[in-house]
Amino acid sequence: MVALNRLGFAERQPLGDNAKAWALNAPAMVVIALLVAYPIGYSFYVSLQKNNLKRPRAKRFIGFDNYKALLTDHAFLSALKVSALFVLVVLGLTVVLALILALVLNERFRGRGLLLSLALLPWAMPGVVNGLMWRTIFDAKTGALNGLLSQLGVIDDYHAWLTSGTGAFLFTALAQVWNTLPFSVIILLAGLSTIPSELYDAATVDRAGALQRFGQVTLPWLLHPLLIVLILETMNAFRAFDTIYVLTGGGPGDATTTIALLDVQTVLTFTDFGLGSAYAWVITAITLLISVGYIGLLYRKGNFEV
Amino acid sequence: MSTLVRVPLRYRIPWKKIVLYVLAILFALYLVLPFYWIVAMSFMHEVDAISVPPHWIPIHPTLENYLGFIRPNAAQELVGGRAVSETPYSLRNSLIVATSTAVLNLVLATFAAYSFSRLKFRGSQVLLVLYLLTRMVPGIAIIIPFYLLMRTFGLLDTYLALILSYTTFALPITIWILKDFFRSVPRELEEAARVDRCGWFRTMWTVFLPVAAPGLVAAAVFAFMTAWNEFMFALFLTSTKAAKTIPVVAANFATDFNTQFTVMAAAGVLAVVPPLVLALLFQRKLVQGMAAGSVKG
Repeated sequence: MVALNRLGFAERQPLGDNAKAWALNAPAMVVIALLVAYPIGYSFYVSLQKNNLKRPRAKRFIGFDNYKALLTDHAFLSALKVSALFVLVVLGLTVVLALILALVLNERFRGRGLLLSLALLPWAMPGVVNGLMWRTIFDAKTGALNGLLSQLGVIDDYHAWLTSGTGAFLFTALAQVWNTLPFSVIILLAGLSTIPSELYDAATVDRAGALQRFGQVTLPWLLHPLLIVLILETMNAFRAFDTIYVLTGGGPGDATTTIALLDVQTVLTFTDFGLGSAYAWVITAITLLISVGYIGLLYRKGNFEV
Repeated sequence: MSTLVRVPLRYRIPWKKIVLYVLAILFALYLVLPFYWIVAMSFMHEVDAISVPPHWIPIHPTLENYLGFIRPNAAQELVGGRAVSETPYSLRNSLIVATSTAVLNLVLATFAAYSFSRLKFRGSQVLLVLYLLTRMVPGIAIIIPFYLLMRTFGLLDTYLALILSYTTFALPITIWILKDFFRSVPRELEEAARVDRCGWFRTMWTVFLPVAAPGLVAAAVFAFMTAWNEFMFALFLTSTKAAKTIPVVAANFATDFNTQFTVMAAAGVLAVVPPLVLALLFQRKLVQGMAAGSVKG
């Protein structure tokens, strides 16, 4: 009963407001029901079919066979592994860099406003353009990275950064980090700005050093925004597609073929809609699990007051 | 004279300031240099762009890469000709799709957000969470049925298919952003209008929305940028210059091995300018919106 109360069920409201509110929400709900809810349900139905656009005659219902096949599907298992590693590397780098940049931006110094504007640059950049950009930078013959490193004397000869599996994976992760960094920075910066300055004053009076202040004041206050960053960036990295598609196309071999990339290839190139839908449902299930954690987190923090 | 000079007893090196500025400069370089490279390249002749060691500034600056989109020269016609000729169309398509998405999204979201900010109603919490959940759904999960749906209605390769899909992406987050902005509008304004016997729609139109305008602009910019940057749906749903958006055409440059890097860089710069300008113009509001849309849900 208490829980229902919190959800806004048990309170008695004037009928006028109720009716008006649902009427106001109707257009948005219709659009979402039609274009999100229905497709999700339908994609589950397709995932239970043998359904290849090139072989319409062979279309039939096969139950969970597509899902059973996943367990021995090398392409799928490899893509799952690549995705998991990709999430780990991107997440680790993003959180560390974003935390440092947010801490810097939280200080007062000349040029702070400019740095904040610059931090929005990668955020405004479409993922495809991000991929193009890093392609010209990592290029084996004419790339800026080769040029810079050899002019600095770090390397003697130009390297083909993207031809080895490990290299391609790491550099793709770096390109992805650049693109998604600003989002985390802004969330963390918003979190930092809510820390009351009295806490720092008190810590200073207690002769706490900079590191101690960070550990005792900043970090506990940042825990919540940090968790949000972790969850949202996990989802982002897990679905990453645009940048990888343009930068490596999944190669060399399948070194950078993430699950999202594999899914698109399966559908667009092989027109296997049944298997593609099964892949999509695995991605959805994993994402939904993560987001349930996210919403639970927000809920506990009491951010859902209306 | 000399009495005025105060010699500090103990000179302390301001480590904190030094570390701060060094970090700030390093981050600034990290954020800017990659982008600077494609901007610089887009104004170079191919010969200069691929020289070893590289030229860091365009020593013979040229506009030929940009002009090529309007009137391709022989070489551009030959290599990557299709992507080059499709670029102007794709910019037009992106502009139409993103603007329409922003408008449609704003209308739908304003109604819903108003209900959350002003009315107490049953199930409001559940509905808010449901909106948030739809935002979490990965695009890849709905793209196949979406494609089949659009094929059935003959909407493949049209603006409408893209506008509809982008509206569903942007709608949940827009509702969340607007609901917070609307709450900051004082209720007294509407009450005063009601005393003057204004109807609800007139109150909204003449009193409430003008006051909430900054929030509405931010939400519209958000939706515009979402639509402008999206790639995967555009890749599935479009196939000709009638509807291809700029990310699709830009990706064509990348998958074509003959592409000149300078032309590709120019296309990339054109694709990034509209969202970048919007981001800088509406910086404060967008940052607020991002923070509100995630820290608070």
